[in-house]
Amino acid sequence: MRVILVDDEISNLENLRTLLEKHCPQVNILATTQSVTEAVNAIEKQLPDLIFLDIQMGKQTGFDVLKSLPQRNFEVIFVTAYDQYGIQAVKFAALDYLLKPVDIDELKTAISKAEQKLAAQMPTAQLDFLLQQIKSPQPTINKIALPMQSEIRYIALADIIRCEADNTYTFFFLANNEKLLVSKSLKEYADLLKPNGFLRTHQSHLVNPDFVKSWLKEDGGVLLLTSGTKIPISKPNKEIVRQALQQI
Amino acid sequence: MCVDSGAKNVMYANVFPNQPHTSFSYLPDVNNLSIQINFRKNINISSFRYTILEDDKPIVVNQSIDREKLEDTNAGEDEELFSSTSLGIFSIKGKVITVLVYSIEKPQDIEKSVFYGKPIPKAEILAFSKRTETAKGVDYSWIKRPKRKTDLTFTEKDDQITIVKDKSAIDYLYYTSIIDKRTEKVIFQSTAWQYGGIVDKHEFIPHIDIDRSIFKKSGDYEIIIQPLIKWDNCLDCDISPQEIEKHVTRHTLSITLEEENYSKKELIIYGLIICAILGAIGGAFLTYIKKKEAKKLAQQYKEKEILGLQLSSVRSQLNPHFLFNALAGIQNLMNKNEIDNANKYLSKFARLTRNVLDDKERTSLTQERTLLDDYLQMEQLRFGFGYEIKTEENLDLDNIEIPSMLLQPVVENAVKHGIALKNTAGKIEIAFHKNGKNLILTVTDNGKGFDTAQKYGGLGLSLSKNRISLLNSIYKETPIVLDIHSNSNGTKISFTLTDWL
Repeated sequence: MRVILVDDEISNLENLRTLLEKHCPQVNILATTQSVTEAVNAIEKQLPDLIFLDIQMGKQTGFDVLKSLPQRNFEVIFVTAYDQYGIQAVKFAALDYLLKPVDIDELKTAISKAEQKLAAQMPTAQLDFLLQQIKSPQPTINKIALPMQSEIRYIALADIIRCEADNTYTFFFLANNEKLLVSKSLKEYADLLKPNGFLRTHQSHLVNPDFVKSWLKEDGGVLLLTSGTKIPISKPNKEIVRQALQQI
Repeated sequence: MCVDSGAKNVMYANVFPNQPHTSFSYLPDVNNLSIQINFRKNINISSFRYTILEDDKPIVVNQSIDREKLEDTNAGEDEELFSSTSLGIFSIKGKVITVLVYSIEKPQDIEKSVFYGKPIPKAEILAFSKRTETAKGVDYSWIKRPKRKTDLTFTEKDDQITIVKDKSAIDYLYYTSIIDKRTEKVIFQSTAWQYGGIVDKHEFIPHIDIDRSIFKKSGDYEIIIQPLIKWDNCLDCDISPQEIEKHVTRHTLSITLEEENYSKKELIIYGLIICAILGAIGGAFLTYIKKKEAKKLAQQYKEKEILGLQLSSVRSQLNPHFLFNALAGIQNLMNKNEIDNANKYLSKFARLTRNVLDDKERTSLTQERTLLDDYLQMEQLRFGFGYEIKTEENLDLDNIEIPSMLLQPVVENAVKHGIALKNTAGKIEIAFHKNGKNLILTVTDNGKGFDTAQKYGGLGLSLSKNRISLLNSIYKETPIVLDIHSNSNGTKISFTLTDWL
């Protein structure tokens, strides 16, 4: 696999190179680059299969590299030091990322995932989706990529009525009555969607407040949705849900 | 239909609103009933089927008409001629006989004849519910099993009252009216019941929603629910008003309108007077109240904010002693050239630190287990002890959330004061299990123990206690109970998260 590394700090580049050479022998590092321009030039010239892309690069970002390329026929693994701006958009696009310092096992997993995706010749629609999401000056995330068994669906947050846990899987209930099964836990989606106002009412339920019709007092508290579905509010979540609904 | 000769009070062929295909005969005094079916001459009788039920039990199912027994009948001189046959003679006293007739060409169009030989029960009002507009939609308050009289107060925000009737097979018989007792006028009448929304034992319960605006003034109103039977239109009628009253449900609603809906004329007069008075006193008073309210709200907000701040500051404390010792441990691995191990522990250290910095209020049991696993493995670099994290099988670890960093200080304590000196003989056991609706998290060590009555030497337990009392003051319905047992054989600390699951 032909790889280019992009990071503005030389020690990070060196470290990643050492780890890849030691633990992922199938990787052939074509170039290591330290700025957006350098990266764009190298990628256009050498056409890699995969790039490791640091998100925060001085005043610029790894996203600028992607934006400057007319064609993006490669996989990307984002690398970042701390979960902040940017990584959120990457998560919403269901793209792969690593946190620094890089964990060897996570690195190996990420490489094998990228290999699978390359072998399957998955289109790079996820990258287009990511760039769309961060296009506006204030990055407002209004869609999410849901990896399904054989495809990736891009769903507007406003179309999600609610999510329900099914062990380590999550069901998404959409406004058009569709029901999607996604192989990630509800907790992961709760962490993603809570900053967008979604309410964790119960260990198995996450609800979009826009679809809440009323709070029924039966059985110690139930949310009636506009779809007619009733969603339980568990006791430990009652106070948080009450406060959130009051603020709206 | 033919009834026995002694029968009185035969109220036959009643048809009810929205039930065009149901004919209902009320036969309280009839013993035996003969049922005959008449077909028009132009009808294809062979495609008809009938089913007869005695109460809920089918006694004849999808029977076709025996064409051999068809006879010509007519009801009077000028009436048309029918093809008729008897469907049999039935004992009806205390029973309900239902006949369903349909053509297999139109199996949806079922003609239903109900012969009711039991006394028709009185409707029962199960509940009233008052709907109130709130900032976020609506809210309902319930009055269940009301007695003969109910006092209700309507404020400006209340916009609807719902009457819930008991469920019966013959809901369609009953209609509801509301009478203003002051004027004796009927202000509301409805023959239809709504279904859906209110469910009991998997059945939709009949109810009607009534706009609150029909109640123009405070005072007494009577709700009457009665069968829509034409009592006076029957054969051999001999029913007293007292007898009829046995089927009628009456309930008095004593309404108080918080904002009176006066007539226009009254409104102008009262309005002018009140305005004059209020204008004078009100102004001064309002500013006073507003100031007080604002102060109170600000105070409440401030208190909540302080609680939140205190919580987050208690949450985010990870012992610096541990942090730097862990780094020293990694340094040692590097210097011993154990590169892979150094990488492994560095990852764990990063994950732990990230968890503390993230400062989330809640974490899943899976994440808490990973955190404790990371932490204990880091500590194992320093001290050689054994540990085990047990989780009950039927706990949904991915989705159950607990306050984050709840156990960490206690586990840290177990390492520091419990077993650090015992080396390989030391053992820590952490368990997540449930007991009914309670979630129980325990940390057990086989260290030297401490006197639970004494002030705790370590920071860990006092931090935990502090944090729990803060959490309990915010989440009052699910208090966390901390339980400490300690003797010279070890210490067991358990957190019971009441009503958590």
